[in-house]
Amino acid sequence: MAAGKRAALPLVLTASDLLDGDVVFYAGAGWARGLDEAAVAADEAQAAQFEAILAETEAKGDPVAPYLMTVRIDADGALVPGHVRERIRSRGPTIRTDLGPQARQERQHVSV
Amino acid sequence: MYRYDEFDERVVRQRVAQFREQVGRRIDGSLTEEEFLPLRLMNGLYLQLHAYMLRVAIPYGTLDSRQMRQLALIADRYDRGYGHFTTRQNIQYNWPRLRDAPDILEMLADVQMHCIQTSGNCIRNVTADHFAGVAADEVEDPRPTAELIRQWSTLHPEFSFLPRKFKIAVTGSAEDRAAVAVHDIGIRIVRNAAGEVGYRIIVGGGLGRTPMIGKTVREFLPKDELLAYLEAIMRVYNLEGRRDNKFKARVKILVHELGAEAFIARVEEEYARLDGPSLNVDPAELARIAAYFAPPAFEALPEGSAVLDQAAARDPDLARFVRVNLYPHKMPGYTAVTVSLKPIGGPPGDATSDQMRALADIAERFSLDELRVTHIQNIVLPHVKLDEVPQVWAALVEAGLASANAGLVTDIIACPGMDYCSLATARSIPIAQEIAKRFADPDRQQLVGPLGIKISGCINACGHHHVGHIGILGLDKAGIENYQITLGGDPGNEASLGERLGPGIDAEQVPDAIERIVDTYLELRHADGESFIDTVRRVGLDPFKPVLQPKEPARAAA
Repeated sequence: MAAGKRAALPLVLTASDLLDGDVVFYAGAGWARGLDEAAVAADEAQAAQFEAILAETEAKGDPVAPYLMTVRIDADGALVPGHVRERIRSRGPTIRTDLGPQARQERQHVSV
Repeated sequence: MYRYDEFDERVVRQRVAQFREQVGRRIDGSLTEEEFLPLRLMNGLYLQLHAYMLRVAIPYGTLDSRQMRQLALIADRYDRGYGHFTTRQNIQYNWPRLRDAPDILEMLADVQMHCIQTSGNCIRNVTADHFAGVAADEVEDPRPTAELIRQWSTLHPEFSFLPRKFKIAVTGSAEDRAAVAVHDIGIRIVRNAAGEVGYRIIVGGGLGRTPMIGKTVREFLPKDELLAYLEAIMRVYNLEGRRDNKFKARVKILVHELGAEAFIARVEEEYARLDGPSLNVDPAELARIAAYFAPPAFEALPEGSAVLDQAAARDPDLARFVRVNLYPHKMPGYTAVTVSLKPIGGPPGDATSDQMRALADIAERFSLDELRVTHIQNIVLPHVKLDEVPQVWAALVEAGLASANAGLVTDIIACPGMDYCSLATARSIPIAQEIAKRFADPDRQQLVGPLGIKISGCINACGHHHVGHIGILGLDKAGIENYQITLGGDPGNEASLGERLGPGIDAEQVPDAIERIVDTYLELRHADGESFIDTVRRVGLDPFKPVLQPKEPARAAA
């Protein structure tokens, strides 16, 4: 991400879990493993708030490597990462759909 | 196989204990991420797209069955049941957890393995010809030299903070299978006119965003002068290599900017100043190391094998495997078997834990307990009796490891790409999978003959695309994955860098383009079975350029 240029709105805050490296998303009261649980900053004021949380997270170092990521909201209201890299990161390897968050979601669907 | 001495063992065990403490301090908050980052990288632990990634060194790609079984056990216990063999003869685990990393390192130490110097700006794992000790054209086995360099470079205090990472490869054969011309230092074991064995030293090769073919800085270095001479090269690089710009910090840029002649002069000047005898290895120590690589107890066997010939005559699949995946051994009655980790439609270089255990069992029973990892992301069973090839093949079939495609169009090198890597700008593996599916027909692959496709998912070129006969580089073009194709690269004796064929194309166009390149080659090649690379060298790129144009719609008859 180019320094000084913030991700475009709407956006979410993402990072990696310190202990297991899982992709996590800021969910308001804490960090969640699924993008569908992420809190969304839709305007400048909320984005500024996310930037402050990002700075706090960096200082705390847990979760690690936080950054802001642009999303779009599809017709069903689901969050979709704006860039293909982020889509892969939020789901798991496209060549191994049995691994990563996509597999977790799959399992949840089965158990429900 | 080299066996750790007391000193090696202590170094590795101490490092595990240190890292265990460091991880503990990171988890309890007494180390910040900024403080911890270089410590985890020094132990091969990266943070990737989906998870941490642990890179394990496999010095010069040599393993025994016990080590391979341990790698399988780690994959089961701490990862997701598989591992990825890389172009640097290493293995990577894609899903380890931070808290488990010290336990994994402990398990590696139990079989004399580690992750030291698999990351960071230091001298990385030393690679070598995967047919070391096998090839008939070998002046000398490169592994004692590689092991000596491993020992010298491990935790070398002066070279732990280089301007950038540093990769060394060694070959002892007339045919270069270790890609020495595209390493920071490439070493060729050669004989001089007097018949003495020594080294040709090549410096400043590399891939990445500024690919370069290395320059020979010494035609013949007496064997016992190696470490002092390497020390002189490293010292010049360490002092004069750029530290202001990460992208210009590799030694290839220094060699290029100074010019080979001036670089050589600096090295020789430094070399003259060094106290060689205090730096060079004691010949007794070199002999101790070399003894570990003495040829194993080969049996006296006749040339050829009636058993294999008869079995191959009965089974065309075995016959094909024998034609494609066997490499001649210097000992009569033996062969080296390439086990392809490139099944049609599979991720190149991946092996499941069950496959690793099968390979360990086969190596123990049929290959004098040895395995090699190749930089082409395959496994070699180096010492198999021709008589036992049918049994080895049957066991490989059972394990899903009998793809008869070594060196052919579907034996594709691919980096992990954007499916795993946080640096990637595009995916590599799905491109490899789709191309392989297009050429799945084994007869067609054999008709095409030797052809190396190499795919990188970013400019850093872990997939060696610059030296692919066909190279594919994945980039990000305004948020869309886009692929540039190069032709004419070669990693071997006549090392060359591929030239771009034209503008980049979308992912779904790549298999078509590759197919049309191959078809064009088949039309152009000489009837004597001229290889793809020879044809490209003869005719140039122009005849291939139309393949990037969209196909013309069928014209109505005039």
